[in-house]
Amino acid sequence: MWSPFHPLHLVLGLIVWAAWFVAMYGGLSVVCSVAPPAPALGARTWINAALLALTAVITALLLIQGWRCWRASAPAGEGSPNQRFIGRVAAGAYLLTAVSTLMIGLPVIVLPPCL
Amino acid sequence: MTDHINPRNEELHQRFEAVWGKLPGWGTLAAVNHTTIGVRFMVTGMAFFLFGGLLAMLMRTQLALPGQDIIGPEVYNQLFTMHGTVMMFLFAIPVLEGLAMYLVPKMLGSRDLVFPRISSLGYYCYLFGGLIIVFSLALGIAPSSGWFMYTPLTDATYSPGRGPDFWLLGITFVEISAISAGVELVVSILRSRASGMSLGKMPIFCWYILGMSLMIIFGFPPLVLASILLELERAAGMVFFSVAGGGDPLLWQHLFWMFGHPEVYILFLPAAGIVSTLIPVFAGRPLVGYRWIVLSIILMGFISFGLWVHHMFTVGIPQLAQAFFSVASMLVAVPTAIQLFAWLATLWTGRVVYNLPMLWIFGFLVVFVCGGLTGVMLALVPFNWQVHDTHFVVAHMHYVLVGGMLFPLIAGFYYWLPHFSGRMPSERFGRWGFWLTFGGFNLTFLLMHLTGLLGMPRRIYTYEAGLGWDWLNLLSSVGGFVMAMGVAMLIVDFALHFRFGRRAGENPWHADTLEWATTMPASSYNFVSLPDIRSRHPLWDDPQLPHSIAAGEHGLADIDHIRRETWGTDAVTGEVREILHLPSNSWLPLQAALLIALLCISLLLRIYPLALFATIAALLILLRWSWHNGAHPRAAPVTGNEPAAPSLHSRTCDGPGLWGMVVTLMANGTLYASLLFGWFYLWTAAPQWSVPEEGPIALWPLLASGLLLSTAALPYRSALAELRMGGDRRLQSRLWTAAGLGLGHVALLLWVLLGASLAPQTLAHDAVLCVMLIYLLLHSGLAVILTALQALRVRCGYVGRKLPYEPVVLWPFWLYTLGVFWLGFVAFILLPMAWGDA
Amino acid sequence: MVIIPLLMAGCAGPFSTLDPAGPSASAVAGLWWGMFAAATAVLLAVVGLWLYAAGRTQRELNRKELNSELPNSERLDGERLSREKFSDEQAVRIHRRWIIGGGLILPVTAIVLLLTFGIPVGHNMLPLPVKEEVLRIDVTGHQWWWQVNYPDGGVELRDELHIPAGVAVDLYLTSADVVHSFWVPRLGGKLDMLPGRTNILRLRADEPGTYRGQCAEFCGLHHAHMQFTVTAHSAADFAAWLAEARTDD
Repeated sequence: MWSPFHPLHLVLGLIVWAAWFVAMYGGLSVVCSVAPPAPALGARTWINAALLALTAVITALLLIQGWRCWRASAPAGEGSPNQRFIGRVAAGAYLLTAVSTLMIGLPVIVLPPCL
Repeated sequence: MTDHINPRNEELHQRFEAVWGKLPGWGTLAAVNHTTIGVRFMVTGMAFFLFGGLLAMLMRTQLALPGQDIIGPEVYNQLFTMHGTVMMFLFAIPVLEGLAMYLVPKMLGSRDLVFPRISSLGYYCYLFGGLIIVFSLALGIAPSSGWFMYTPLTDATYSPGRGPDFWLLGITFVEISAISAGVELVVSILRSRASGMSLGKMPIFCWYILGMSLMIIFGFPPLVLASILLELERAAGMVFFSVAGGGDPLLWQHLFWMFGHPEVYILFLPAAGIVSTLIPVFAGRPLVGYRWIVLSIILMGFISFGLWVHHMFTVGIPQLAQAFFSVASMLVAVPTAIQLFAWLATLWTGRVVYNLPMLWIFGFLVVFVCGGLTGVMLALVPFNWQVHDTHFVVAHMHYVLVGGMLFPLIAGFYYWLPHFSGRMPSERFGRWGFWLTFGGFNLTFLLMHLTGLLGMPRRIYTYEAGLGWDWLNLLSSVGGFVMAMGVAMLIVDFALHFRFGRRAGENPWHADTLEWATTMPASSYNFVSLPDIRSRHPLWDDPQLPHSIAAGEHGLADIDHIRRETWGTDAVTGEVREILHLPSNSWLPLQAALLIALLCISLLLRIYPLALFATIAALLILLRWSWHNGAHPRAAPVTGNEPAAPSLHSRTCDGPGLWGMVVTLMANGTLYASLLFGWFYLWTAAPQWSVPEEGPIALWPLLASGLLLSTAALPYRSALAELRMGGDRRLQSRLWTAAGLGLGHVALLLWVLLGASLAPQTLAHDAVLCVMLIYLLLHSGLAVILTALQALRVRCGYVGRKLPYEPVVLWPFWLYTLGVFWLGFVAFILLPMAWGDA
Repeated sequence: MVIIPLLMAGCAGPFSTLDPAGPSASAVAGLWWGMFAAATAVLLAVVGLWLYAAGRTQRELNRKELNSELPNSERLDGERLSREKFSDEQAVRIHRRWIIGGGLILPVTAIVLLLTFGIPVGHNMLPLPVKEEVLRIDVTGHQWWWQVNYPDGGVELRDELHIPAGVAVDLYLTSADVVHSFWVPRLGGKLDMLPGRTNILRLRADEPGTYRGQCAEFCGLHHAHMQFTVTAHSAADFAAWLAEARTDD
């Protein structure tokens, strides 16, 4: 793994988020057009479960990365002020991205997939 | 010219002016300097603003009373279409980009943007494109299907006139300008800051502009693609959006809103940047929560791309998918709220001066927060089903755009007025202007929320009496005219201040950022010497900085070489890496823009031979443009006494050109990704999608052409590796080999295209394939031409061992061409075969 | 006390979403009033806070009987004062409090609340499978009129729908030309009519009566006049109407 101070960390979490978002919307749309589960099942379908699992994994990944950046950029750490700036902002970005991922993903618990 | 120039260094300033100044007389049209171009963008944008406002006045006149017939539906539909189009594309984006172009180099402590001729080209494309669009209204054949141009209403069947063509071609033309300015701003912010200005020390406004520019890079291409496809459907009968044949009108809606929603945040970010710049100055306190604000800019930039479907909640998308977009739309409130409360905390801990710019900032706050709250309401799907496409949305949108963009912009204009004129604004007239605009605006649009809840849909030219809408509409119209008076007052105030305003002293607002270290009005070169910047607030920490800059005590104060020079710095740390030498006044941008305008007009008139001529001529001009680069006598010819460390950028392997190429390819890649999206979307969702039984494209010749292209890249790559090692053995012959093999690929690919049994006018499947093949062909063709050009430059001695710059710039284009070919081969050819077999 | 009936009267109207006559429209009107109250409170709070924040140092200075009319050039004194009042650590604490409280906790709480109320409302409007038979009506949008078919009854109408009151009906919406949008504001939300697709909108009128509808998606020249009526009958009246309409054909 490369340095937690790399400027790419500022956007990496959100790039992962964007890919996840496309996978959620695209995956759902494809399943609904190819093999829609019966509406009577409500929200208890395999596609809901798969989307929820994906959400959980991505959220966890983002949180781990965020924690890594945060720890590395502690005031007592080894980074220069410029590196600490990037580390701090990146940690915040990972954290808020994780929150967004979780919140956007949660409706799969209650809503049927294809109605 | 103000005080910091004393006679002692007057002579130095005159020598700088001789190098950086405009040509006399008509020569001003050849100007490329960011100060000149930025002001031109803003003035032109304001002219379009007044025009768009005039259209709004006509609409409010028609709607003032029920059952009026002052303006019939034909004209009314043109009016609201043009109002939206002009305000969005010809006013909001260009004005903000103009302000950014004007300010960014000054705030970063550099002398110009990194691609000055692109600034000029962008301006002319914008001007000509805008005039073409507006001209259609004068002819009475303006587009009349709404600024969102939904198909099938805009296709050849339901809009047989030329209106939609004006929109599609004109807007695409204007977007060249927006995207090129976006590329230029990104690279300038990352690569040409003051020495030592690390990312964390950058003025916050530049972070906002960086965010805005990157959003333009990724936000505009989907609309460019959609416009090209719709124009092909209209002019050549290809099928993309009509159901028969396997198209889908919803594809247009998706592509349009993939642009359309980020667009709102593209407008909001720079305006919020103005707010974040002004509040600390008038609170006398550094901005609280700089890192939080950077964080929220990044978040906003991304999350706003995940909202587009909230414009399409009523088209019948599954509710779970709608929920994703609904939550994402609400989540965008988080970065907005972070900024609002950071501003609040700055005011809280500072001591606020009440003056005209702050008045507009407070106006912004009230109006924008209100618009934001109704935005969260609209993100709630069931509520959206009721008020979508009613006047509630009209009200919401104007609260967000006028509150979130126009008010901060005017605050910014007042704040930076001394910069343009050297004089201070007057308080009294300005206050009248504010209260009339603010009051009129709220009267018009606050009531409109209720009009919408009472069921009045958008875009109707009249309504019957007694539906409960009468008095609301009348008051809205009255408010509209009050607001118009306010705007008129502002214009009078601006105009008078140039004549009667009090002379501005040095740094009149006690601001902290570097743009106030220039002379007022600003000189063409901004700074005679370029200082080291290690603080976010250079002018607060060293109030004497303007004097030491003007006295030439800092870097790059030498002008004997008569090059336009500024620092090229590291993207993260801001340490100096090379000296950028920038092009001087040039007619090429104007010539290129005129030829592109000719192309646009000939496509409108459907005179295709003329269009072909204009394309080739424009290409030749652009090639000439790239010929005047690097060591060419018109740029930076090799001389005996060149600076060694840092060296001139064209003597290095990493300069702004490479960054510009990569950023441009990001925009281009987004266009390609949109095409891929369209392909998969139609494949899975189009109601009558059908696939021809036989694959229409010959597989093996296509594969062979791909292998030829890959082989062509090899000699290029080894030439490049050698250049990077500092050698140029067989450089020219390797480049010629690459160009030759590439030409073979182009010929083979063209043969495949011509030999394919495609029926793009009956099948969407074939139409998309056709566009994809032409896209590949254009890219590999361009790679060949540009490689041949480099080979010629080696022969002329402009490229070589000591001048490795340009082949390095071109290499990402080769990689991109290879990438899109093989990706296309897999996605458009192999995947459907596998799918079909399964 | 006087205001409320006035307000209610102001909200009436043949196209008013605030004068609901069916469960979907009622639920949304309820959401609206709730959101309106909350949003007004937030707006007032934020603007009030800003005004208070902007004025507080000034007031403090006035209280200390310092010259409140400092000329512009001496503003730096005020700046020094405000810096003395807040050390940088204090400023950091203050901004953490505001940014985390107002920027994170406030919007996230609001979103969670909104979704808790909003998602069930949206869910109940869906054409979910139900036990009893639901009347199906096909509506096709044309430039600029509505073609209405009763597939079970062989009845075709133009610009008017007849439905039984008190029970749900499913409207199968499509378009013959451009995009239109079917909307009866007093009964429920709108749904687009797209060429090549069929969308299903479930509506219910609580009471017999006539409700007006209109096209909500811009569809060309005469979009403003593309309207229709929905007449809800009691069960017996509807059966009689249907029988009569059949014999007319």
